[in-house]
Amino acid sequence: MSLRLFRRTWAAQRLKLVAVSVGLLIWATLMPLVYEAFKEQIQILLGSGSQFAQFAQFAQFGGGDLFSLPGAIAVGFIHPIAVALSLVFALGFAVAAVAGERQRGTLEVLLARPLSRRRIYGTFLVATIVFVAIAIAAQVLGTIIGAALGGAMGELRPDRLAVMWLNGVLVFGAFGAVSLAASVSFDRLGPALGLSLAFVLISYFLEIIGSLWTAAKGLQPYSLFHYLDPRGALNGTTTIADWLVPIAVMGVAILVALAVFPRRDLAAPS
Amino acid sequence: MDALRTEALTKHYGRPHRRRMPAGPYVRALTDLSIAVKGGEIFGFLGPNGAGKSTTIRLLLGYLHATSGRAEVLGLDTATSSVEIRGRVGYLPGGIALYDGMTGLDLLDYLGQLYGRTPVRRRELLDRLELSDRTLRRQVRDYSRGMRQKVGIVQALQHDPELAILDEPTEGLDPLMQRAFYDVLDELRAAGRTIFFSSHVLSEVERVCDRVAIIRAGRLVALEDVAALLARRKRHVELRFRGSAPELTAVPGVTGIAIHDSLLTCQLEGDVGPFLAALAGTTVADLTIEPAHLEEAFLEFYEGEGYDEGIQHGEEPPHGPDEVQAAGLAPTDGLTTDEPTAVEPTTDESPAGEPAADEPVADEPPAVAETGAA
Repeated sequence: MSLRLFRRTWAAQRLKLVAVSVGLLIWATLMPLVYEAFKEQIQILLGSGSQFAQFAQFAQFGGGDLFSLPGAIAVGFIHPIAVALSLVFALGFAVAAVAGERQRGTLEVLLARPLSRRRIYGTFLVATIVFVAIAIAAQVLGTIIGAALGGAMGELRPDRLAVMWLNGVLVFGAFGAVSLAASVSFDRLGPALGLSLAFVLISYFLEIIGSLWTAAKGLQPYSLFHYLDPRGALNGTTTIADWLVPIAVMGVAILVALAVFPRRDLAAPS
Repeated sequence: MDALRTEALTKHYGRPHRRRMPAGPYVRALTDLSIAVKGGEIFGFLGPNGAGKSTTIRLLLGYLHATSGRAEVLGLDTATSSVEIRGRVGYLPGGIALYDGMTGLDLLDYLGQLYGRTPVRRRELLDRLELSDRTLRRQVRDYSRGMRQKVGIVQALQHDPELAILDEPTEGLDPLMQRAFYDVLDELRAAGRTIFFSSHVLSEVERVCDRVAIIRAGRLVALEDVAALLARRKRHVELRFRGSAPELTAVPGVTGIAIHDSLLTCQLEGDVGPFLAALAGTTVADLTIEPAHLEEAFLEFYEGEGYDEGIQHGEEPPHGPDEVQAAGLAPTDGLTTDEPTAVEPTTDESPAGEPAADEPVADEPPAVAETGAA
């Protein structure tokens, strides 16, 4: 890793990082407040008998639910708004890190310095994970603030909030690693972005369709979002797959990138 | 030690035909290039656009991987030591792209820091290329093409590299800045630095380079000492005389004599002394000796001599000026001479031939030696 390249990357991304973090913080603050506001009505629904089964199915959303504080927080994590904000770095930054520089022609100047391609890749990988970690931390902080404002702080354990953060960092870090692997594999931003976006969208679709439709439940394990498990983290019920699958995806993506990038021919930008 | 050496360096792109797999687009970008650049010289690497100049440079710096052959830069193998090489080399990419969101100063600082070396030549280069502190405080996105090129030159040379690899460095510079840049190159040479200089402009190669290699369609066509080439070039002579015409047929090096009224034209090669001595009894009204440029020197070279010295490998070398021209040595195929050319008449507001700011412009007219009446 090159500290100078990291500093420059940080300087270039810091405003965006602040904006994304504030957005996630505000969003995450809302979820405990919303849950606290509707908690009593949901309790009434829970006791309403036969109609509850159908309601309960549709109230499941990507590993979250509306029947508990951890479930509501999990809905906040998998909600398209939160996912989109988290992907600003896990996808947007990572995809543009190398393919964008290559397309703009600035990678030429960077590679003219005594920096190996692996070092450049490593720096961008660390930057991606750091940015994702900060963004997810803002989301966790928002959750804490929301829970405190809603008077539900007693229902959350700090150690489990840390587990939730780590789980989020791993899953979005894995998306980032995949995007960065695509980024080092193409000369143009378009193909790298298309490939990464397809991976994210298919993954999201499989998770959501599986959570809403019991017949499609078998598709969920093929989605990386399935291993984003804030509810399990807060309840202390994460599975080993919630950790191993994101780590494995990240590992494979890193190996692919380390194999592809140094061996690629970087022809003159057209 | 050679600062740079290639041995049968070859780069082909695309997929050749394989069993059960159709061949993809296959491009022979560079074939069997063998050159050696001595330490402390300015080496011109000349060729039309698409000839393989940038491919060669990218192979030297590790951007591309050779299909076959090998290259050494500063004694280091480019296949295994590209990072170390880049630490000792300054590189100006062709058509350089810079970080638009940074100021010029921040950019130079940043790129200098990535070298981990003090930018000892920065101030001198900034002064030479007239990049003021005020200019450097502006964002790069506000820079003209010429200013970007100047920043590109500074970033390549500010850390005083042992070897500078410059891909078409005068692109976008106005004539004054080109001259300032040539002065910089002279100073670097005087300081023992080596310059590998790619260009498609013959006149600048003639002006600054010690030796020149010409590349065409990925193959080395010629490798020559510029001074030797120019020494044997023919000069064009125009002589206006009064009275009887001088007798020049027996003068060594004089050919192509034509007399029309009081105007004598001929070609002069080699030592000018015998020619001037032959004019002793002639009343000279005007005399113009126009030196041939590098392009003509090359054409003459190909007309009169064999090719083995320059051509390294491969296909039949070009024969005669027609084939040499077809081979890409003529201005019509990408090599430019920077000579003033005839232009269409334009409006008074836009004088013919006047360059726009920061666009490449014609160099000065060819040197003309004139004497008064003898």
